[in-house]
Amino acid sequence: MHNLTSKGVVTVKKLKAILLLSFMMLILSACSLELKQDVAKQYKKEEPLMADIIIPDSLSTNRDTPFQVVLTQGEEKVDSADYVHFEIWKQDGSVKFEMEQADEVGNGMYQLNKKLESEGLYFIKVHASSGDSIIMPQKQFIVGELSDSELEFLQEGAVVEDGGGEHHH
Amino acid sequence: METVPIKTKKQTIKKTNPSLYKTVWRWHFYAGIIFAPFLMILAITGAVYLFKPQIEQMLYQEYYEVNPQGEKISVTQQIETVKNEYPDAVVSKYRPGESDLRSSEVTISSNNETLTVFVNPYTAEVIGELNSEDRIMNKIEEIHGELMAGTIGDRIVELAACWAIVLIVTGLYLWFPKKKQDLAGVLLPRLNKGKKIFQRDLHVVPAFWITAGMLFLILTGLPWSGFWGTNFQTIATNAGTGYPPSVWVGSAPTSIVQTKDVADVPWAAETLDVPKSDLQGLLPLSIDDVVDIANREGMHPTYTINIPSDKEGVYTLSAYPPKAQDEATIHIDQYSGAVLADYRYDHYGFVGKMVALGITLHKGTQFGFLNQLLSLFICLGIILVVASGFYLWLKRKPRKEMGAPKSPRMFKMGPFFVLIIGLSMLFPLVGLSIIVVWIIDLLIIQRIPVVKRVLNA
Repeated sequence: MHNLTSKGVVTVKKLKAILLLSFMMLILSACSLELKQDVAKQYKKEEPLMADIIIPDSLSTNRDTPFQVVLTQGEEKVDSADYVHFEIWKQDGSVKFEMEQADEVGNGMYQLNKKLESEGLYFIKVHASSGDSIIMPQKQFIVGELSDSELEFLQEGAVVEDGGGEHHH
Repeated sequence: METVPIKTKKQTIKKTNPSLYKTVWRWHFYAGIIFAPFLMILAITGAVYLFKPQIEQMLYQEYYEVNPQGEKISVTQQIETVKNEYPDAVVSKYRPGESDLRSSEVTISSNNETLTVFVNPYTAEVIGELNSEDRIMNKIEEIHGELMAGTIGDRIVELAACWAIVLIVTGLYLWFPKKKQDLAGVLLPRLNKGKKIFQRDLHVVPAFWITAGMLFLILTGLPWSGFWGTNFQTIATNAGTGYPPSVWVGSAPTSIVQTKDVADVPWAAETLDVPKSDLQGLLPLSIDDVVDIANREGMHPTYTINIPSDKEGVYTLSAYPPKAQDEATIHIDQYSGAVLADYRYDHYGFVGKMVALGITLHKGTQFGFLNQLLSLFICLGIILVVASGFYLWLKRKPRKEMGAPKSPRMFKMGPFFVLIIGLSMLFPLVGLSIIVVWIIDLLIIQRIPVVKRVLNA
């Protein structure tokens, strides 16, 4: 009020300050920190077993078929695992091989031979344990031709029943 | 009558820095008036939310309780029943129920709604459904956490909490006795020194008593806030001292199996001229297996299974039971069943442990009913202090003004300026809001004489 010119100067100064502060606000409100890439390594880490289930390319009935699994943990192949069991069954329930121990072949590989007598949709489940890690991966495979009911089962994408469990339909 | 207390006050003030006292008072005053409504909402909703377990047990008893009869039916079967009743729904979670008398819960999303379907695990019958949005406690939680206004609400709540710290610090300064006097007016309200003194003591004395509790609730609540909390968690996790990634910030690990090894079940079968090798491959684990793994790994019975929604996802088991020490988060490869990460309370860093404990204490579950009562007492105290502060202002307020003391500008008050800068750095939202107020002050308040006079600026 007393001094118009000096007030004018102050206003320009103030405007500059406001611009600067608005910029700071933008930065502040935008700043969100991000997680470091391999931060999980700083906490307790698991070394899970990994299994590669190998099913022969051509499958036919009434022939000894070798089923194999290669176990790795970290970078290492796992020999002398605590246990490696194979469980094989047919989707319609007509064939069911109980859990059976696989033979150690070496270099992390375990094998079991089975003779499959009928065509259709099968499942194999590997139960393996080494150290702290227990796994139970499961694969499906087809021998020969599928029956109509098996086709329907695949088309529905139905939940696959556990080999050990009961069938409740 | 009127002049006596004011005079004594002036005398006491003289011994300290009078303008510093006025500045602190002014800040306490405005922050108090602006944030009183929010603090009130937080205290009331918090007090109700403390009793969530009891309230929900009462409200949803018919959904929760089941009669044990024989063996439980497989989880696959239970989920199958739910899928039959809600054909279009996507199942996202399963909770087995912590006792033989408790129903299972299947969480589904259907038509953009999240429903909890309660299932009798002995008969696989659907008992009933609850829409998450209809749950009273969810509403209360939403008000408490974000005033039902999403991100903006979350920031306002956070701002109110941060400013409550400013209120506590400035309040303690104003409360601190300037001369040696007895406990009256400091630790005990003065009942026989007239109305004005009593009005003042009604705000100041209880405020002092609940300060520690209030500060505790704020500091334990802040780590789960959207802006400050997320950044705080990220810093702690990055430093290796917080929660491991995916428990609070960061995403879950992905399955270690290569997607090409996964059997493509439904569509492959429809067009069966695809090579049979595509029908060969790994299948996801059944949820019964996941339940077995949960039992094997010793999850707390209140755990929930998160079902992966895509091929890379993992099954996540998580339990947030009443006591922080029982918490666990386990990620399981959906194809091999391998435990990819197993994070328990013991595996948290120091900060993570403190935050986890803070949360269960904040929610009143850590040490049971006594915890709830203690927290309720603090909430009631906050309600009393906010109400009495507001009342104090109304009673003392001149008719045409806000009634704040006039004070020199903040920059001229060394120690206070340093304190505010410190708090602003610790809580950027406080700093941000001060900048906003400053801009408003420069652009509006200082330029419009009426506003300037009312605010006594």
